[in-house]
Amino acid sequence: MLAQVLLLLAVAGMLLYFASRKHNVRMQAGKRIAFFLFLALNVYAVLLPNHTTWLANQFGIGRGADMLLYLLVVAFIFGMLNTYLRFRGSNQQITELARTLAIREAELINHQRGVLTSEDVHSPVAATAPVDPEGLRS
Amino acid sequence: MANEDVWVVIPVFNEDRVIADVVERVRETFPNVVCVDDGSADQSASRIAGTRAHLVRHPINLGQGAALQTGLSYALARPGAKYFVTFDADGQHQTSDAERMVEVARSGAADAVLGSRFLEQAQGVPWLKRAVLRTAVAMSRTARKLKLTDAHNGLRVFTRPVAERLHITMNGMAHASEIVAFLAHGDFRIQEVPVTILYTDYSKTKGQSLVNGVNILFDISLRDRG
Repeated sequence: MLAQVLLLLAVAGMLLYFASRKHNVRMQAGKRIAFFLFLALNVYAVLLPNHTTWLANQFGIGRGADMLLYLLVVAFIFGMLNTYLRFRGSNQQITELARTLAIREAELINHQRGVLTSEDVHSPVAATAPVDPEGLRS
Repeated sequence: MANEDVWVVIPVFNEDRVIADVVERVRETFPNVVCVDDGSADQSASRIAGTRAHLVRHPINLGQGAALQTGLSYALARPGAKYFVTFDADGQHQTSDAERMVEVARSGAADAVLGSRFLEQAQGVPWLKRAVLRTAVAMSRTARKLKLTDAHNGLRVFTRPVAERLHITMNGMAHASEIVAFLAHGDFRIQEVPVTILYTDYSKTKGQSLVNGVNILFDISLRDRG
């Protein structure tokens, strides 16, 4: 029962984390520390499996292995969301790159086709806004 | 020629059957047309090249939202461009509707003019589609704020200040909701104008599937995060 509450809280916390837009250096450091803590816990659990069972019992879970599985699921979802957001960030950069290229090339081609006057051909850099690197900070 | 200050942006993805006709019809009213070929696998690009429309080709397929933004960026870089029309490539929009919307923008009554299928009568809109679009409006907080009746209409007119500040980041189909949200947050005067959508057999096969609504909801719920 206690474990269910805690796990649901973990999921809710994760959603809140992704809903908030505060992704700064501190957040990144926090994530790295959490990762190393997670590793350390894993080493501990491998060396002393009985202790995890004791800990699991405190939370109302039958076996230590079950608790590790639950934690793994939470960590997995976290990692997946993180990857998704990072993927979207780099997608945005590709889009900006492709757009800049496409417009530059189009100005030359449309000029050759005679639909664009020559004084009208200029660098489109000013017309495109800079990429928001938000998605890459995670 | 009239309407020299208007630029019509048409995102194109695999529309080689109709795109040349659509462009020719638009160009009877609006001389400045920019077609953004979003990495079509068919002959769309060469069909466009056969017209007098400006052609911008995405090197890879990026999505309709990205194509719209590319077209707007291209049009914004053209001197003398004051009004920006977004227009669908499948021929479901009427040039006369676009013309009326530009007149509204030109009169100074609105900074952005949006087409609506539902403002007067829901003529010829299939009932299932009507139900879904109505739900989309009811679900969208921003659409309610602006009192919009149709949040997903591809026919829009932006004045230059709006187009300059708009930056579509939703590459896929969620851009329609993104544009509405942008208009709601900015301090713009919005007006809806009734338009007629031609649901031809062709445009029906190309139209957004209802399943896509799920994708849009997912994209929107995770936007600007991370």
